[in-house]
Amino acid sequence: MTETLPASAQPEENRSDSITRFSRHSFRAKFMLVVGAAVLFDIMLAGGVAIWNVQRLSRDATETVSQGLTEATREYLNTYIDTTALRTNLLLDQTYSEVEALGSSMQALIDHPETETRVGEAIESDPDLGDRDITFDAQGGWAQNLEGPSVVSVWGYLLDDEGNMLPAAEEQVVNSSSFNLVAPALMSSGSNKLQMYYVGPKDTPIMRTTPYTTQAQTFDKLYPGHNEDNFWDFFFPGVYEGWQSWLADPSTRPVDRNIVATEPYVDAITGALIVSFFQPLWTQDRTDVAGMTAVDVTLDQFSNLVENVQIADTGFGFLTSSAGNVIAISEAGAATLGLISVDAAGQGVTGMNRFLNQSRFPAISNLLLPTDNNTVIDTISIDQGDGPEDFIVVLKRLDPANLWNGSSIVAESLTLGFLVSRQEMYQTLDEVQREITAATSNIVQWQVAALLISLVIVFIAVYAISGRITAGLSQLAGAANALQNKDYSVRVSIPSKDEVGAVGQAFNRMAEEISHYTENLENLVEERTAKLESANKEIVALNKRLQTENLRLGAELDVAKRIQEMVLPKSTELENIPQIEIAAYMEPADEVGGDYYDVLQNDGRVKIGIGDVTGHGLESGVLMLMVQSIARALQEKGDYDPANFLSVVNRTMYKNIARTDSDKHLTLAFVDYADDKITISGQHEEVLVIRANGDIERIDTLDLGFPVGLELDISPFVASLDIPFDPSDVLVLHTDGITEADNAAGEQFGFDRMAACAQSNRGKNAKEIAEAIIQEVKDHIGSHKMYDDITLVVLKHR
Amino acid sequence: MNMEISTNDYRVWVEGAKIHYEGTMRLSGTEAYAPILSLMNDVLASKPETICLDLTGLEFLNSSGINLLAKFTIEVRKQPDIGIEVLGSKTIPWQSKSLKNLQRLHPALELQIN
Repeated sequence: MTETLPASAQPEENRSDSITRFSRHSFRAKFMLVVGAAVLFDIMLAGGVAIWNVQRLSRDATETVSQGLTEATREYLNTYIDTTALRTNLLLDQTYSEVEALGSSMQALIDHPETETRVGEAIESDPDLGDRDITFDAQGGWAQNLEGPSVVSVWGYLLDDEGNMLPAAEEQVVNSSSFNLVAPALMSSGSNKLQMYYVGPKDTPIMRTTPYTTQAQTFDKLYPGHNEDNFWDFFFPGVYEGWQSWLADPSTRPVDRNIVATEPYVDAITGALIVSFFQPLWTQDRTDVAGMTAVDVTLDQFSNLVENVQIADTGFGFLTSSAGNVIAISEAGAATLGLISVDAAGQGVTGMNRFLNQSRFPAISNLLLPTDNNTVIDTISIDQGDGPEDFIVVLKRLDPANLWNGSSIVAESLTLGFLVSRQEMYQTLDEVQREITAATSNIVQWQVAALLISLVIVFIAVYAISGRITAGLSQLAGAANALQNKDYSVRVSIPSKDEVGAVGQAFNRMAEEISHYTENLENLVEERTAKLESANKEIVALNKRLQTENLRLGAELDVAKRIQEMVLPKSTELENIPQIEIAAYMEPADEVGGDYYDVLQNDGRVKIGIGDVTGHGLESGVLMLMVQSIARALQEKGDYDPANFLSVVNRTMYKNIARTDSDKHLTLAFVDYADDKITISGQHEEVLVIRANGDIERIDTLDLGFPVGLELDISPFVASLDIPFDPSDVLVLHTDGITEADNAAGEQFGFDRMAACAQSNRGKNAKEIAEAIIQEVKDHIGSHKMYDDITLVVLKHR
Repeated sequence: MNMEISTNDYRVWVEGAKIHYEGTMRLSGTEAYAPILSLMNDVLASKPETICLDLTGLEFLNSSGINLLAKFTIEVRKQPDIGIEVLGSKTIPWQSKSLKNLQRLHPALELQIN
């Protein structure tokens, strides 16, 4: 009986519908589901929060780095363009200073004419510094010196017919010879200059240039007709007049400096792209222009400066005029900006145009140049054919200068620009972002991997633990299943000390009991059946005894009832009474009633008694028999005084009732008939008299007596009443069972209803009158309960 | 002490030394009336100056009930220092014919039939 059943040893036929340990309904599955879900939730929450935090950290770091780098880049670009602008301005300033220095020295001599002449003559007389042999070139129509410190060209319109210089021209040549002393020195130092030159006033515009070149010959080739026209008007129309207007009205000078620049043009002598800077010279009295000193510089110097700008890999700088003409830029830069070069042929020098607003790229052609000295940093998008690319453009305006635009002098500000690919610029930033993103995704991957590994470990642990926890339950389930299949020998072995172990022990005890009951069931049933049989026998025996008892009691009651009926007057007895008819009716509420009536005769006297013992049943019936016997005895003794008669009955009954320990009493009245007269005594219900003519008389008996059996002596209360009783008069005696008979509505039959019935039937004989009243009472009661004994006595005078 | 007996048909209750009767009492025999007699005896045992039986609400009382009243009156009569007063109604038939006997049993009983 102690063999154990392993969980797997279930009966084969039950395996299909039983709950296996791995089905999704099994406790183990649910346990794993709940614990797994809780752990999963926990891990996912923690992991999710961690991942979220990492990503937020990454985002914040990227943002911070991005912001820092952007700011640094802006700062860098700002500083760089400021520095470059400063360098450009410095370069310009240096060139300005050199031409100004040349101008200043010559202006000093102009302001001192005598010294100017003496210095001129002294220089001219120096074999090295002086101009040698200014000779007429018949073919060109001009005169020019042989090689020396400078080349002096005297144009045809400054010569006489023989090709000799006019005196004014000759004076000019001598006066300007100080140029030979200063200009070559300036040329050999300072910034890189192409040439420096001097041009005389408009009436003697000789041209003196250092270093020495075949200047006039070159002009002849490049600028035919220049020898016929005035130099100023031919080459620089408007410049001379502009300076003259400054003298007349200083406010017309656009920029507060005397230097005037030209736009870039191809140099007639060297063929290089150059820019000239002019410094005007004034007459001693400052009323007119006295010529100019000038310097030509190649654009290379600015280009070098601008082109040396190196931002990231391919970022470049450029210099543009306010009109958008780019004057300095690398070729690669020009390609990036999409510039198209156009040779600008005009009168005088030939220029070069590369306008921004003619760029192939809309972003460049729409570029707005700054209108103040603040640095502008903007981002534009350029599509060079392989998709749009973002560029950072930085623009800064240089210091303003006076510019000869080919016809007049205006203010001009060059703008320095940088253009750099945004991608290159922010390459570091992109790299940082990439690295942060890579690091983030790395962390997230590790995190996810850690989550998955945790989950696997937890599930393995839960699986292992659930096996231990649910093994007992599985075993119980299997054992219960076996028990269901009537294998009562099954027992479980659960070593754990927990609730499952307790259930296992309880199960074993129950299985033991079931086994015990099953095996002993037949014995038990036999035992019980035997017990039931003996109990049944006892019941049958008791039942028999009860029946016997009932029969005996019934028989006793029957006897009492019979005795009561037997002592009532026989109908033959009543019929034989002369002078009056008497009819009587009595029905007890129980087997034995408590009502009394009797009719006694002797010596021609008739005495009718009627009474009611309180309650009904056997005890009341016995009291009624006593009254009957006493009344009979007294009547036989011949005591005819009604009051005395009643007092004796009372005293006898009182003592008998006391002896029998009864607490009952009774009402009792007697009616004596003799000689057409009726005497009533005793206290009972009202006596009804219907006269022959139908008159109804109600006789109250309250003052004629007293309840019998209550007091030993009632004689003080007893009286008698005589009334006439003539032929056809009817007298009705009753007990309260008649008048107090209730119908279903609780309504009493009442004295009046009885009187009316007797009155309407007074012509009939006594028996018929009695029957009529009883019938009416019975009809009144209907199916309702009859509470009290009913007694009715009807007398009719014959 | 149970101060009230109540059924569907009748109700008897005590207020001080006054015992009220109401409804229809048709109990079968002395034993059935015993609880009511006990109630009345309790009032008597408290020896009040006067006991009052208010029967004005008692529509019907059978002969066993009348016997109860008579027996109680006799008990009161044995204690001359306790007065008794009975209140009745002329409109109720049984009272006019039965209550007078109580006064005869105990002449000191004060009977008021209104």
